[in-house]
Amino acid sequence: MSKTSIEIKQGIKLHCIKTDKYKTDITCIIITTPLKRETVTKNALIPFMLRRGSKKIPSQYLISKELENIYGASFNCGIDKMGDNVVLKFYIESISTEYALNNENILKESIEDLLDIVFNPLTDDKGNLNKDFLDVEKQNLKNTIESKIDEKDSYSFDRCISEMYGEKGYGLYKYGYVEDIQKITIEELSDYYNYLIQNSKIDIFVSGNIDENRIAGLLNANENIKKLKPRIENYILNNEYTESKQPVEKVKEIKESMNVTQGKLVLGLDIISNMENLQATSMVYNAILGDGANSMMFQNVREKASLAYSAKSTLVKQKLNIFIRCGIQIENYEKALNLIKVQLENIKKGEFSDEDIFNAKTYLISGLKNVNEEQDTEIVYYIGQEIAKTNMTLEEYISKIENVKREDIINLANNINLNTIYFLKD
Amino acid sequence: MQILENSKIKEKLYIEKLENGLTIMVMPKKTRKKYIVWSANFGSIDNKFYSQGEENLTTVPDGIAHYLEHKLFEQENGKNSLDVLTSLGVDANAYTTNDHTAYLFECTDNFDEALEEFMDYVQHPYFTDENVEKERGIIEQEIMMYDDYPEWAVYMNAMKAMYKNNEINIDVAGTKETIAQINKDKLYKIYNSFYYPSNMIIVLAGDFNPKEILEKIKEKVILKNTEDVKRVYNEEPEEIVEKYVEKEMNISMPIIIIGYKDNNLKENKIKKDIALEILSTILFSKSTEFFKKLYEEGKLLTNPATNYEFSKTFAHFLIQVQTNYVEEVIKEIDNQIEKVKENGISEEDFLRAQKAVYGNYIKDYNDVSNIASIIVADYFKNINSFDYFEEFKSVNKNYVEKILKELFVEKRKVVSVIKPVAE
Repeated sequence: MSKTSIEIKQGIKLHCIKTDKYKTDITCIIITTPLKRETVTKNALIPFMLRRGSKKIPSQYLISKELENIYGASFNCGIDKMGDNVVLKFYIESISTEYALNNENILKESIEDLLDIVFNPLTDDKGNLNKDFLDVEKQNLKNTIESKIDEKDSYSFDRCISEMYGEKGYGLYKYGYVEDIQKITIEELSDYYNYLIQNSKIDIFVSGNIDENRIAGLLNANENIKKLKPRIENYILNNEYTESKQPVEKVKEIKESMNVTQGKLVLGLDIISNMENLQATSMVYNAILGDGANSMMFQNVREKASLAYSAKSTLVKQKLNIFIRCGIQIENYEKALNLIKVQLENIKKGEFSDEDIFNAKTYLISGLKNVNEEQDTEIVYYIGQEIAKTNMTLEEYISKIENVKREDIINLANNINLNTIYFLKD
Repeated sequence: MQILENSKIKEKLYIEKLENGLTIMVMPKKTRKKYIVWSANFGSIDNKFYSQGEENLTTVPDGIAHYLEHKLFEQENGKNSLDVLTSLGVDANAYTTNDHTAYLFECTDNFDEALEEFMDYVQHPYFTDENVEKERGIIEQEIMMYDDYPEWAVYMNAMKAMYKNNEINIDVAGTKETIAQINKDKLYKIYNSFYYPSNMIIVLAGDFNPKEILEKIKEKVILKNTEDVKRVYNEEPEEIVEKYVEKEMNISMPIIIIGYKDNNLKENKIKKDIALEILSTILFSKSTEFFKKLYEEGKLLTNPATNYEFSKTFAHFLIQVQTNYVEEVIKEIDNQIEKVKENGISEEDFLRAQKAVYGNYIKDYNDVSNIASIIVADYFKNINSFDYFEEFKSVNKNYVEKILKELFVEKRKVVSVIKPVAE
């Protein structure tokens, strides 16, 4: 595997991951922009509109035919939060030319189709996005926003985040808000789209058994890329040095009722520290607490107390938060909460073994060693590195984790504060 | 050692059957990952059997195969093998399906040390009253978690509407009531009845030298072969149980499964599976007029997901959609099936769908865990996974049209709907 990054224009980068481990090529276009209450819903509506058709392939129906013809290439788009930013992702996965039955150059077609869908949308004579698509896509977005209640685990996780941050920055729901949808006009959305593609940070990732120079040549010659202007990257940098928090005066307790059989408990924690090697220490702390089968959550809440099947914690590196999550019998709320609090106190007091530290590090390092063995994981890793501007190699990352010491973990544990307790019940 | 080679996906599969009856398959891949899965042909449908040398029929509680999967990690030295494997930095797991139970791990480092532990725990059950009791609360929470998944509920209801007696209508994890009956004696009984070499397979995929790894595994196999367990399955009538089932849950939009029961289990399964993949694309993909219309009217956001599920004792085709327009969309799906039945499939649509399906089969061979689980699942259906590429050309338009006419019969159709709780 080798990775190269070149700047095509200021603010627009091409990242090529050359690897012969897979039977597929993946191209992914990432547009990064700050999360704002005023634009969050418009951001979410844009991928819905773009996938409906481009000037070259003017309908979703024709796009699908085109994709089926290149051996069922899969095209998709989505929205993710990364710290205080939102990333719009557009990607296409197709089989490598060597597996095509007639040696068709599938990659070239895939890349060109994807660029066309993202940067050359179907417009009317005034240059606005196609108005005919708008009503249905507004309805689709509304349905998507409302469907957040369907998955109780992710719903309760999102609810805890929004209680902690409110309706701003990282607290915003990535698909936006139903009440915004109606007001959005086609002119407003088109202006916003044009602003977005001319002012945001754009990263294009191509992974597969590829020739970097040919890909760069292909992009430089592409009419859609030619239309894009150089830009100054405009997004919010989140990393261990930029985040600072204050402890909350009183822990917020939220209980919400729904027609469920299992209760979902989420505890939101703030990491309040500017210690050296903060990110790696947070990762080791989180692994001891609740990431993996040897963690305290798994061992004590699940295995010993039999209170849960799923019991874990998740670290959000960009925002320096940890979320403890478990699915429990509703009557066991107090019991589970107290047991979790005991785990948090025990780490503070240093009541964990060297074996726990070793296990946590082994778990994290093996995860990092896996990065270059999975095509999508690899791309996601490099996207994260690019946006956090850390550009750390995996080896550097691993050595940072190895360097975390017992006293660092205890020190950090004493600077981790409970912020919010959220419980979804019947 | 037998070697199967496939020129289309450019992969080789090494197969060896040991003297004690255990089958081992290895697919070397260019990656640093190593993946191993050890699977027994024993799943949630195997609830009645004559144990080796016994004349009395044994009936076991629903969910016992899955309970055993949880408990096999427990070791006599007081350790749990999942913890031991995780400490080695390998990603260990297990799963239970309707016809098999699988134990696995994957890693980039420490494979040999982990293999030691892995081979040891799968062959050494250790159940006590305490360790069996302790698991009950955990599995109860797993069952409750599934109870809140609308997609699981809509599927189980479809199975119950389709099958009167077939064991596929049993929830893999059982229920709170059935797992209450499970104890250590019953777990030993099923382990001893089903976990014998010729009823099992080990599949490896990744950074392996086939000869070397085979030798290593051979040294560590201690299970002795026995005669076959005699499984008893219920007789299933051809008819369905109920045309329509409905349930309310806290969701945003109704979820529907339309299922067709397939009583013809004699057909070449690979050919039929390929034909149905092609057919699904022709009937319901985003490139159909059917989807274009419903999408533009705002009635479907994503195209129907389809799945042909089959094993030795059952087969059915499922179509799943989410929509606020339940009756209308069901009717449109029916119309689309009827329309293609009547007008036949165009050459252009057939060729395009064929290419798309072919590409998806290629993609299946990207990831070691995906490869190994496909090989295991196919093996217990008496299928050689590479045959999908061999049979591909033989699936022509006429055959697909024949399957379309045979399978989609109104009287074998069930509809399962999960609706949002009425305000």
